[in-house]
Amino acid sequence: MLQSLKTLVIDTSTPYLFLALYDQRELVDSHYQKGHNDHSVTLMDTLQEMLSSQGWKPAFLDEIIVGIGPGSYTGLRIGVVVAKMLAWSLSCRLYTVSSLALLASSVLEDGQVLAWMDARRDHAFLEMYEKTRHTLIPVDQPRYSDFKAYQNSVKNPFVLVSSGHPNMNVIWASDLAVLVTDVHQVEPFYLRDTEAERQLKDRVNNS
Amino acid sequence: MIVLGVESSCDETSVSLSRDGKTILSNVVLSQIDLHKAFGGVVPEIASREHIKGITVVFEQALKEAKLTPSDVDLVAVTQGPGLIGSLLIGINAAKAFAFANDIPIIGVHHIAGHIYANQIASDMVFPLLCLVVSGGHTELILMRDHFHFEKLGETKDDAIGEAYDKVARVLGLPYPGGPAIDRISDQGQSSYPMPQIQVEGFNFSYSGLKSHVINLVNTLRMKKEPIDVASMAKSFQEAAVAHVMDKSIQAFNAYDVKMFMIAGGVAANRLLRQNVEKTFGDGLLSIPAFKYCTDNAAMMSIAGYYQYQKQKDTATMALNGYSRLNL
Ligand SMILES: [Zn+2]
Repeated sequence: MLQSLKTLVIDTSTPYLFLALYDQRELVDSHYQKGHNDHSVTLMDTLQEMLSSQGWKPAFLDEIIVGIGPGSYTGLRIGVVVAKMLAWSLSCRLYTVSSLALLASSVLEDGQVLAWMDARRDHAFLEMYEKTRHTLIPVDQPRYSDFKAYQNSVKNPFVLVSSGHPNMNVIWASDLAVLVTDVHQVEPFYLRDTEAERQLKDRVNNS
Repeated sequence: MIVLGVESSCDETSVSLSRDGKTILSNVVLSQIDLHKAFGGVVPEIASREHIKGITVVFEQALKEAKLTPSDVDLVAVTQGPGLIGSLLIGINAAKAFAFANDIPIIGVHHIAGHIYANQIASDMVFPLLCLVVSGGHTELILMRDHFHFEKLGETKDDAIGEAYDKVARVLGLPYPGGPAIDRISDQGQSSYPMPQIQVEGFNFSYSGLKSHVINLVNTLRMKKEPIDVASMAKSFQEAAVAHVMDKSIQAFNAYDVKMFMIAGGVAANRLLRQNVEKTFGDGLLSIPAFKYCTDNAAMMSIAGYYQYQKQKDTATMALNGYSRLNL
């Protein structure tokens, strides 16, 4: 039996800033609030407040779990760089988890869940999950797709989710957090090349 | 006092450790320049993606080379702006997380203050002094009566000098970055193409007229299918571009009773500018940063951070943010 297992969860892939502290897998404190493109201002400030109100020093953390994407690029990177730097500085374990899985974990009902984030031009980052009582099973790959076309392609009924307080117990029960072996190598899961790279590839393919 | 500097405002990820605002203990720079060459310029989203990949490695390497641990660090100084916002935010949030994890105070430092303080590495500033700041985003004359006292005497009304270099290099088919390319190829040319006289009031600068002149000239010659002597075009442009900053610098130097002249910024690496500055101001106190401290690096940020802290004794909170535009 572990005497203490202190976990910090960070996700900044959506307009919402999500921070949570768990002790022995029990939720101790969390913050889930819509921001205004200001994760850079609020993340570290909120984290400092949450830790100090628990009387936790950064060094108390045993593990950090970060939403790795996909999501809005600049916002997503704020959470990932902070998680990466904290894990390296504190020499604690770092886990990554799909930000779409975090969204899906917030749903209470059982059945098919389509977690999605707006990616502009009628497109979305999305992934279909099967939600059972305490677990979440991916039934498709994460995709960047035309949102309407994808929904029309699905036969069975499903619930849409694009925001909601993540439930880490569902993530743990489903084994969806992946342990990082080399913290230096961590980078966001963007799901798409940059526009400049796509244009360059097109030019090469067309010539 | 040990200061850890962090710089990520454009396409260089850099961390440096310095002691007492003078001795550089390490200065690790991870440059992305080869990656951006394929696109003919810095692609902001690619720059941000590279910064986040390299950031912790650069921290680790800088500490290792300085033979220090985080507990030796007394202050973290991070570039707050101006620059590419996505890039700045990687350095700032990495710096905040590092400072928080190790319980070290942090300050945000202006990128141009960093360029100016690259001069403090080799020699001590003597006040009052005049500094010509020349880079891809800046062309300005700064009067300093004391440490961290910046009085802007004039600035560019349109393009920065480095921007003009990049655009002229592109129209001439020279590789990115344009500054060093023009500087190099000029050696093989003559200043045979006439360039316009740049007219602008006070200690201000203007480069859009010169830039447009070269672009129009090249396009006209191409249309007429006349040959273009690229080296001579580059040399003609470069001489006019450097003459303009020299004229304004001499005017300001004569108008203010200053004891020292300095240059700073990426274009301070330009050989023609360095020669001209040596020739003109070499008799008095002159400071030209070493080549490696002209381009973006964290050593200059950590030195500037030291003096900013000494002067202002002010530290930031964990709400410290980055700004693409920021006044000195
Ligand atoms: Zn710079």
